[in-house]
Amino acid sequence: MQAQAIEAVQIANIHTAAQEYRIDSHTPSSIAAPTAHASVEQALTSASRERLAVTPIGGRTMLDLGMPPRQYDLALDLSGMNQVVEYEPDDFTITVEAGMTLAQLQRRLTVNGQFLPLDHPRFERATLGGVCAVGRGGLRRNAHGGPRDWLIGMRMVQADGVSIKGGGRVVKNVSGYDLPKLFAGSLGTLGVITELTFKLRPLPASDQIVAVAAPSLEAALAAARAAAQAAPFLNGCVALSADSAVEARALGAKSLQDEPTIVLRASGLESAASEVLSQALRAIRDAGISGPERRTSEIVETWQAIADLELQTPPDHVRLRVGLPPASLIRAQTILDQRLDDAAHWITAADSGLLFVTAPSADADTIRRLRDDLQPLQGRLTIESAPPELKRAANVWGPTGTGARLMHSIKEQFDPHGILNPGRFVDGI
Amino acid sequence: MQTPTALVQDLIDAIGEDAIVWHDEDLLVYEYDGTIDRGNPDVIALPADTDDVIRLIRVANRHGAPITPRGAGTGLSGGALAARGGVVIGMNRMRRILNVDAENKTALVQPGVVNLDLGAEAERHDLAYAPDPSSQRACTIGGNIAENAGGPHTLAWGTTTNHVLALELVTADGEVQWIGHDTRDEPGYDLVGCVVGSEGTVGIVTQALVRLVPRPAAVRTLLAVYDSVRQASNAVSAVVASGIVPAALEMIDKMTIAAIEPVLQTGFPLDAEAVLLVEVDGPESQVEAEGARVEGILTRFEPREVRSATDPQEREQLWAGRKGAIGALGQIMPNYYLLDGVVPRTKLPDVLDAVYEIADRYRLPVANMFHAGDGNLHPCLLFDEREPGATERVLDAGGEIMRVCVDAGGAITGEHGVGLEKRDYLPWIFTEADMDAMKSLRAAFGPTENFNPCKIFPKGHGCGEAGHQHAQHQIAKFGPKAFV
Repeated sequence: MQAQAIEAVQIANIHTAAQEYRIDSHTPSSIAAPTAHASVEQALTSASRERLAVTPIGGRTMLDLGMPPRQYDLALDLSGMNQVVEYEPDDFTITVEAGMTLAQLQRRLTVNGQFLPLDHPRFERATLGGVCAVGRGGLRRNAHGGPRDWLIGMRMVQADGVSIKGGGRVVKNVSGYDLPKLFAGSLGTLGVITELTFKLRPLPASDQIVAVAAPSLEAALAAARAAAQAAPFLNGCVALSADSAVEARALGAKSLQDEPTIVLRASGLESAASEVLSQALRAIRDAGISGPERRTSEIVETWQAIADLELQTPPDHVRLRVGLPPASLIRAQTILDQRLDDAAHWITAADSGLLFVTAPSADADTIRRLRDDLQPLQGRLTIESAPPELKRAANVWGPTGTGARLMHSIKEQFDPHGILNPGRFVDGI
Repeated sequence: MQTPTALVQDLIDAIGEDAIVWHDEDLLVYEYDGTIDRGNPDVIALPADTDDVIRLIRVANRHGAPITPRGAGTGLSGGALAARGGVVIGMNRMRRILNVDAENKTALVQPGVVNLDLGAEAERHDLAYAPDPSSQRACTIGGNIAENAGGPHTLAWGTTTNHVLALELVTADGEVQWIGHDTRDEPGYDLVGCVVGSEGTVGIVTQALVRLVPRPAAVRTLLAVYDSVRQASNAVSAVVASGIVPAALEMIDKMTIAAIEPVLQTGFPLDAEAVLLVEVDGPESQVEAEGARVEGILTRFEPREVRSATDPQEREQLWAGRKGAIGALGQIMPNYYLLDGVVPRTKLPDVLDAVYEIADRYRLPVANMFHAGDGNLHPCLLFDEREPGATERVLDAGGEIMRVCVDAGGAITGEHGVGLEKRDYLPWIFTEADMDAMKSLRAAFGPTENFNPCKIFPKGHGCGEAGHQHAQHQIAKFGPKAFV
């Protein structure tokens, strides 16, 4: 079948390549690597006719995310679609194909003194289509939000092969429903994103990072919270456990030591960035942290190394992500530490209530209890990576709130035959 | 003596006599929302809480009556008009700020809270609510959510959609649900992102959790007066290109100055062609440095004068002209038609030229006051509706201006919504397939065909006579084909 299902689309050697596209021990029976929008239309038209389950794929950095697939026939690899479609620097907007990597985009923009304020692990590989399909804000989400906040337009191919678009190329727009918002964070379950338009920011004149070691993770987190409150215009405010700091150093954050560490980032005009950092450092000192301030000139490398930590755990190793209002972050950390025997590799964004932790021995029962404990704090726990059995037993996404009814109804409207990434998203979607 | 219809009686039984307005003379206020169009509701219902909203929707559904949610009616796109009659649900009694969580920087509010009141409450916690439409003294948070409202300060902070975290929503089937999450960590589709900007066509928001932002330590407002719109536009481009992100970047033109000067005495020279307002904010040192840089850029384009203020009262004075502009237009003509086109920023000077050319050709005075930094134009065509043929001329000119925006790669509305007014222009930017996908999204929210009917999409069932009757004329003149 499969050869005809993806006619006119370049097919990789299925036997050697399939392992590269493995998701939770499932491998696809076909791989298509389109290099043009029309080929995506053709692939989906055929797949829809034959009811093949299609998983859109970008840089393969986050294939672990989500429930094990219910069915997985065609891996649709968009990474070959990586061109700039339209870029007028003075408009501060850019339209690119979905397979362009975040790093490629940033390099293109840097030339013109611009950037897209999104963090994502492994940005050399992560594609913009993937980053947006996953749709989460990164370590600097307090300052910059997430992909949804920078996307202003999108072109996609629906399950039946029909192309649509939403938004446009202007920075303010309420013409028709905001389909880019719907597709951002939909994990490829509503359609395949082929082009994205972003609004951009000018690169700051000055970008500064300071790391301060703390005696314990708890002390680091408390001081980081104090810093975030004292200096609300910080660009980033992260607390790392000692093992995370060691790994980050190995990944390129050379200024970090093997101790629990607070990492602060501020940007803007040099005097303003320094002023914000001073406010934050004063709060850290007031919180009783006396370690030396370690500055670095390698801003991008240092920050990216910290962002990359999230994906450092090997597959099948349990990694959890918790998001909640930042005032409850310390309480959440305590709960996790108490419930998880072997919690390690902590990464926390203290200004936005984001926390990552690994726990090799976590079981479904522990995760259920954690979710119960975190519920009153408005905490949401996602399993980012785990053996398929645990993913199934504990449910990667956890319970879906009262919006579940609407989500099923949207899925039914956009993908009535359920061929797009079936089973991997929330509530069986 | 009027007697209540069965619908009115059931609504009274549902939420009480005091909350239902149904006498003909009382309905007049709700016919109009500042656009050219009119819509006659059969009855107005004023719910006090979420349960009232649920009851109202169920009663209306039982009678097959259209439902039109309404905030303050300041949307300027006909979105709050009862296009097919039926029940207008006015949210103005639900106007409590339920909670401000200063540490997490959020506020929980009812939809009838006035934008400026939320701003004032946030300020008491040294925080701000960023979206600030020019109508902020009247417009409500619920209406802002429906239209994804903007305002001068969205240049730096983004529009309403960037500031709404979670919503209590009653859908068209009368079901209530919470969607979204305090830190956007609820797994699943971004339902909040779908509801914001949906113009009241998928449900009624009954509570909103919004994001507040830290207030900058310092603010500086600069005002520059120019002898040509081109010079002012070039100064705008230069500021944007400089790498500074101003908090606001606004322009007003000669006609606007002529309207505001007699009323507000802002001291703008009547023969000046354009006035630019630029605001920078942030830490003290940044405001000082960026303020100086902006002043340098503005000066490069040979302004007649540059004024600057950091004191709140003096800044307020510099803003008075911009904020009072629309109200002052009545000085020149009794009616105005305010457009909301948005174009890529580099196209702004050419599009402005075209706007003046079109207004000239249609013999209409035009006043421009707009968010220059965002590329969001607000040409106001001034006219007297009592003059035969004037309304038609205005609508034709408006259509041409919209077409120019679309042809420049822009869109038909930046912050006011498509509403009733621009629904026939939607096919200029979207294909049938695009609009079908949008309709699929709407269908997912339940039986929405009676829910704020005739808005956004062209030619809905039973909407032939709704709103202005010039739609067909517009299509014949400019073509229905999508600009893709």
